Amino acid sequence: MAAYIIRRLLASLLILLAASFLMYTLVSFSGDPLAEFTAVTDPDQKALLIENRIDALGLDDPFFVQYLNWLGGATQCLVPGSGCDLGLNLNNQPVTALVADAFPTTLQLVLAATVLSIILGVAIGIISAIRQYSAFDYTITFAAFLFFSLPIFWVAVLLKEFGAIRINDWLADPAVTLPVAVVMGGLSALFFSAIVGGSRRRRVAAGLAAGIAGVGVFAGLVASGWFANPGMGPGLVSLGAAACAVGATLLFTNLENRRVLATSLATAVVGVAVAYGAYGLLSDPTWVTLLALSALVTAIGVGIALTFGDIDRAAAIRASVVTSFLVGLLVFLDRTVSSFAAYSDEVNGRPIATIGSKTPNFEGTFWEVTLDTATHLLLPTLAIMLISFAGYSRYSRASMLEVMNADYVRTARAKGLTERTVVLRHAFRNAMIPLATLAALDFGAVIGGAIITETVFGWKGMGVLFTSALNKFDTNQIMGVFIVTAVAVLIFNLIADISYAVLDPRIRLT
Amino acid sequence: MGSTRKRASAWAVLAGASLVLAACTGGGTDPVDPDDTSTEPVTFTYAYEQEWQAYNTTTVATNASQNAIPMNRVTLGFWYFAPDGSVAPEEVFGSYEKVSDDPLTIDYAFADDAVWSDGEPIDCDDAWLTWYSQSGQTDTFKPVSTDGYEDIKTVECADGEKEFSVTYDKPYADWVAQFGAILPAHVVEKEAGIDDLITAINEDDTKGLEAAGDFWTKGWVFKPGELPDPSLVPASGEYLLDTWESGNSLTLKANENFYGEAPVADTVVIRFIAATSQAQALENGEIQAMDPQPNPDLKKQLEALGDQIVFASDDQFTFEHYDFNFDGAFGDKALREAFALCLPRQTIVDNLIKPDNPEAIVLDSRYYLPFQPQYEEVAAAITPEEYASQDIAQAKQILEDNNALGTELRLGYIVPNDRRVSEAALIIDACGPKGAGFDVKDEGDKTFFNAGGALVTGAFDIALFAWAGSPLVTGSSEIYTTDGGSNYGNYSNKEVDDLTEQLNQTSDLAVQQDLITQIETILWEDLATIPAFAFPGIVAYDAAAEGVEYNATQSGLAWNMQNWNIS
Repeated sequence: MAAYIIRRLLASLLILLAASFLMYTLVSFSGDPLAEFTAVTDPDQKALLIENRIDALGLDDPFFVQYLNWLGGATQCLVPGSGCDLGLNLNNQPVTALVADAFPTTLQLVLAATVLSIILGVAIGIISAIRQYSAFDYTITFAAFLFFSLPIFWVAVLLKEFGAIRINDWLADPAVTLPVAVVMGGLSALFFSAIVGGSRRRRVAAGLAAGIAGVGVFAGLVASGWFANPGMGPGLVSLGAAACAVGATLLFTNLENRRVLATSLATAVVGVAVAYGAYGLLSDPTWVTLLALSALVTAIGVGIALTFGDIDRAAAIRASVVTSFLVGLLVFLDRTVSSFAAYSDEVNGRPIATIGSKTPNFEGTFWEVTLDTATHLLLPTLAIMLISFAGYSRYSRASMLEVMNADYVRTARAKGLTERTVVLRHAFRNAMIPLATLAALDFGAVIGGAIITETVFGWKGMGVLFTSALNKFDTNQIMGVFIVTAVAVLIFNLIADISYAVLDPRIRLT
Repeated sequence: MGSTRKRASAWAVLAGASLVLAACTGGGTDPVDPDDTSTEPVTFTYAYEQEWQAYNTTTVATNASQNAIPMNRVTLGFWYFAPDGSVAPEEVFGSYEKVSDDPLTIDYAFADDAVWSDGEPIDCDDAWLTWYSQSGQTDTFKPVSTDGYEDIKTVECADGEKEFSVTYDKPYADWVAQFGAILPAHVVEKEAGIDDLITAINEDDTKGLEAAGDFWTKGWVFKPGELPDPSLVPASGEYLLDTWESGNSLTLKANENFYGEAPVADTVVIRFIAATSQAQALENGEIQAMDPQPNPDLKKQLEALGDQIVFASDDQFTFEHYDFNFDGAFGDKALREAFALCLPRQTIVDNLIKPDNPEAIVLDSRYYLPFQPQYEEVAAAITPEEYASQDIAQAKQILEDNNALGTELRLGYIVPNDRRVSEAALIIDACGPKGAGFDVKDEGDKTFFNAGGALVTGAFDIALFAWAGSPLVTGSSEIYTTDGGSNYGNYSNKEVDDLTEQLNQTSDLAVQQDLITQIETILWEDLATIPAFAFPGIVAYDAAAEGVEYNATQSGLAWNMQNWNIS
């Protein structure tokens, strides 16, 4: 394996070298970086501008010298500590600094979107494969194709209009108007009729009931002023924590296993107790405090599982860990949402943003800053997710269907295994193998930036850096983006191949 | 999480569907502005398309609007661009007066209480830095232009004095626009490790001046988001640089040491937002004012916002013109006449410019634009009657008389540019085979401006492009003079050369106008170029915003940010 990795890395270097030369050549010959000065009226000034740019970028050097100069600086990036020099862009800014600045921005934007769309896409894809040709499957298929074919710039602008501006207007004075009732009731009806299954009559009835209930709950929330000051409160948080414990138990055994259920519930109780016991500490925490507290809860949970787990110790520990993680997430969400009123006030009652990665100069508690990031991430993440989620759900559905028809699944069923074991242990794991490659490659690709999303939502990430450079024939800047993207693609390609070997024992890397 | 996700997806579907139903119902909602408490400090947010990166906007690498716009009220000078495009004295900063025409001598005086935000008085050494750095006497300072400063013989004052006198070697027409954006000499001195700049210049301290030039050129350019210590970037205006969030915003805070009237808004945030995203940001209250490059879609978007915002259109200080290539077929004046007659200037303005700026008119002058006070008088004096309106029949007649029907006419311009493509189409309609009878070839090309492109090599008959206008007259001098560096059509007229020479050395505005009238009369007679229209500009701001005023010059809205307020 080590030999394989070393060989692959060496090959990657050669590929990188060849690709960088090709890219440099193409970009250098694609346009004239001095063209923008033609419209300068004063010839002396024009001469100065042109001379300065030629000097700064060495444009008078022969092409190969220019490339070697660039390569010399870029090679230093491979050697740690020798300083990394990707040259200057047309504005005389160091490209290294620009890329170092844009990279985290892009990462912040695409990471959440990609992870969420993988999780959701896979989950929904699997469910629709298991319930093939059900109403749920048809709905998801329809939605996936719809989203897949939507142009993202259009989705982004619509999201801004309806997901930010209209919602902000509505939040200023929440009221159950007819359109709001139709939308909320409709969504509720759609959701429940899709998951209920069964005969058409049953689904229609469930949909109707859910629609009416949805409008009712929504009207209740509006009437109680929940939207001005949202949150769950201790009661709902405790209830949610209990649900997390039950869910975690179900994941590893079944509800008849009282020991595991009890340890999970105990962990949930500890989690809620710590969350409210340390209420003051949590009013403006740091990430360190949060991690320490969740580590504490997890440790206690594992302790309980070790003490009372008996023969189900292994399952109990897993369930406790998952429970403490979920409860932590729940508390985190509750606290963040609870600071909504204060946050909304600070941004003049327009909480959901259409532009940028944060409110300029925003200062507030940890929760308000988190909320600020979240409200800025919301729409671009949604825009990216809508489209890549569609792809993942289709891939995982197809892969799952193929596996479900495999002989070993029939054998597993014939052995008398429960359907859950068949699906989760035998089918799901094998269905994930091709998706691992897809996800790894996708990660490599998104590092290059989500050009359209970044542009529309005003995030200065890799995509914007790339397009702005392309428009001005800014060779160094393009090469800066290119080199980072190329390295990311090569590395993730390697990871994909290695993970393939790890997941599938039939494959050996030599 | 799953249900949120689903709700979100379904929301998007419904959003799409309801777009069809509710396509044009936008607007009507009142802006929400709960903090009406007048005691709370005002934060005003302005959107600009490009990101700031340098404190010194006079170097060859940093002279760009993206740098100059935020600096408008940070580093003051003796003058500023007023909304009507004229050069207005910055009275709070100081005063100046022309005391002699021969030799041209100007007396300047900084305001007595004028200080940098770090407390250092603004005085003689700052004036010396401004002059010396742009005088071209040394290679280490790299200014964008040495015009005017290179003609200065001396700047007379002693260290610490508030008054200085500037004497020119030869008269310089645009002397009023000298000594703008004064930079802090004491910072340069400190960074370059010299005691006193004036002594260093007088004693020709090569090493010290080299260090000073190096800092002046490169030391005020910053890495993204890394604003240096405030002592390195002091302010002389109402605002000082406060924070810079890379890719997002630059924040200016009121300068507590400002010697004039304090600004209205305590904080001005300049957010870097692409033109296409500004309208929705304005609607959502994330910005309060914007003046992006206009397009018809943007205008529709803004109109849909109704009372929530105020928006207006006006001319920009940039104008489109059609240039003949005198080395080709259009060296023949008859052909130029024919083209001038068939050229659909009014149609171009009606179809392409009025949708953005309903007040737009056909431009007749190459020196003054319609919003400038001199325009009407000059335009009336210079424009020949026969070209006031289009006459295709007459144009055709001229071509027939000269046996020139079917003469090839290559229209050169840069693409991609939707407006010029449309202009070319309208010109082909009017002047092409179906109109006056030229064989018009649409040669829009993306390499048009390149070193080997059509404009420079002369591979065009008519070139469509734009010049930035200015109240200053010397900038246009090389466009119409023989062998001028910007005279791409190789037009030549001895009389124009002489008058331009005279104009460049005339410091009196009234005499300037007279000379320009003479020059432009000849340019029209010779049909050297044909001006077409001023670019449309657009401004939009929140209905609650106050003090926002359009400015056609490169300063844009930011010219009076000290007056911005939110009611």
